[in-house]
Amino acid sequence: MADLGRMIATKQVSPVEVVRVHLDRIAALDRTLRAFITVCADRALASARAAEADLMAGKAIGPLHGVPWAPKDLYSTKGVRTTGGSKILADSVPGDDATVVARLARAGAILLGKLNMHEFAYGPEGINAHYGDTRNPWDVDAHRIAGGSSSGSGAAVAAGLAPGSLGSDTGGSIRIPASLCGITGLKPTYGRVSRAGVLPLAWSMDHVGPMTRSARDCALMLGPIAGYDPADPTTSVLPVPDYGAALTGDVKGLRVGLLRAHFTDAAASDVRAAVEAAAKALEGAGAVVDEVSLTHVAHVATATAAIVASEALAYHAPWMRSRSQDYQPDVRERLRIGAFVTGAHYVRSQQVRALVTREVDDALARRDVLLAPATPLPAPALGERETTLGDGPSDVRAALLRCTRPFNFSGHPACAAPCGFTAAGLPIGLQVVGRPFDEATVLRVVDAYQRITDWHTRRPAAA
Amino acid sequence: MLARMEISLESLARTAALAGFAWTDAELDAIRPAVQRLLESLGELERLDLGAAEPTTQYRVL
Repeated sequence: MADLGRMIATKQVSPVEVVRVHLDRIAALDRTLRAFITVCADRALASARAAEADLMAGKAIGPLHGVPWAPKDLYSTKGVRTTGGSKILADSVPGDDATVVARLARAGAILLGKLNMHEFAYGPEGINAHYGDTRNPWDVDAHRIAGGSSSGSGAAVAAGLAPGSLGSDTGGSIRIPASLCGITGLKPTYGRVSRAGVLPLAWSMDHVGPMTRSARDCALMLGPIAGYDPADPTTSVLPVPDYGAALTGDVKGLRVGLLRAHFTDAAASDVRAAVEAAAKALEGAGAVVDEVSLTHVAHVATATAAIVASEALAYHAPWMRSRSQDYQPDVRERLRIGAFVTGAHYVRSQQVRALVTREVDDALARRDVLLAPATPLPAPALGERETTLGDGPSDVRAALLRCTRPFNFSGHPACAAPCGFTAAGLPIGLQVVGRPFDEATVLRVVDAYQRITDWHTRRPAAA
Repeated sequence: MLARMEISLESLARTAALAGFAWTDAELDAIRPAVQRLLESLGELERLDLGAAEPTTQYRVL
């Protein structure tokens, strides 16, 4: 996105050409990938012509002027249907933009369309019975999952159908598809980015953030969308730093903790080796690396399941009473489970949350960032239910969520970025976790890593 | 601490009805194993020493 913005600003390419190229790629590849639910070709071309006219009149807005992007289809878009990946909202056309969509429009970015997702964001696989299952562009033939719930975002960015996206992340839904599709995805701190106008899954766990091809591009998207929003009472009034300026490439003296138990040690062997190699690479660049374990994370799966099931059912209860047959089966079953979680269970889970949050804070009191796998396994095949991790057999769904959801629980910022490939050519994802509201350091570390490696520059054959 | 017990379809149906959901036996039977597993796991949380940890519903907002 940064490169495109620069080329547009210097008139090496026109926004119209850039949008046309992306629309052509969507037409050529998306019948297979199923990354888009809605393509806004006419609207995008009209916006591109307007952006070009402004540029020629000397009225460039900034680095995103004329740069196309596409959000996951749970962001409200004025006049463009917002389905949440569901049949229930198939014809829902919002009257307003979500705050972050409006902010990106004001920054000059051009909406290409709306991206596929696990129905109502309730699943880490990224499957969708209504709009088709998104295919991972790294292995289209085997039909591996793109990861979810922001599956369309992961596949579209990896395959070059859109240079950037906004996903949402309740248990890992930005970082899981980023990991499985070999792109860079940032879940900011809870409260850093407004969720107003974004369909909720679980209010106290939902985060929204950028999915792009590099830390630099994540910084470029995060700047305009971060900051206080009166429409979202959970947003922070803390000032928004210049994230681009934080990308110095320098990690000398930064203290990095490699998360061992539950995270790196539990990963599949090739993932573990790649994450350890990433820690070594950062050490070679001057970071001070040590090892750390979090003892309470073993309880995160249960506590988050109770919280998400309760909050999700609270939102969906009216439709679950009147239109339950319109949900895809796995989502309907997960929502039903919420009916059996008691208030006492919910509060107990929130007590565990306080404990885990404090433990992550303690680990970061002596370190600048923590490292872990983003997912402990590469992209599974569609329908694969069991896998083997470093600590034994695991349900695929639980494995996908294992390394990411502790930081939805705690609210800390976390970024997934590619750190290698398996022998079969599937991406492996690294996760960098930072202190609350210190996205700048998280992005600085990922950017520094991307300056000394080239994993993030590789493209799938399907692209 | 919650004692381990098998959850019957009848108790699932009663709980669902109290929450306003009229789900069939087949629908409830399909989720019974998952509900059983979750409630057992939540029972383990009951056994944790959480000290004086107060519940938090969201991260600190500044």
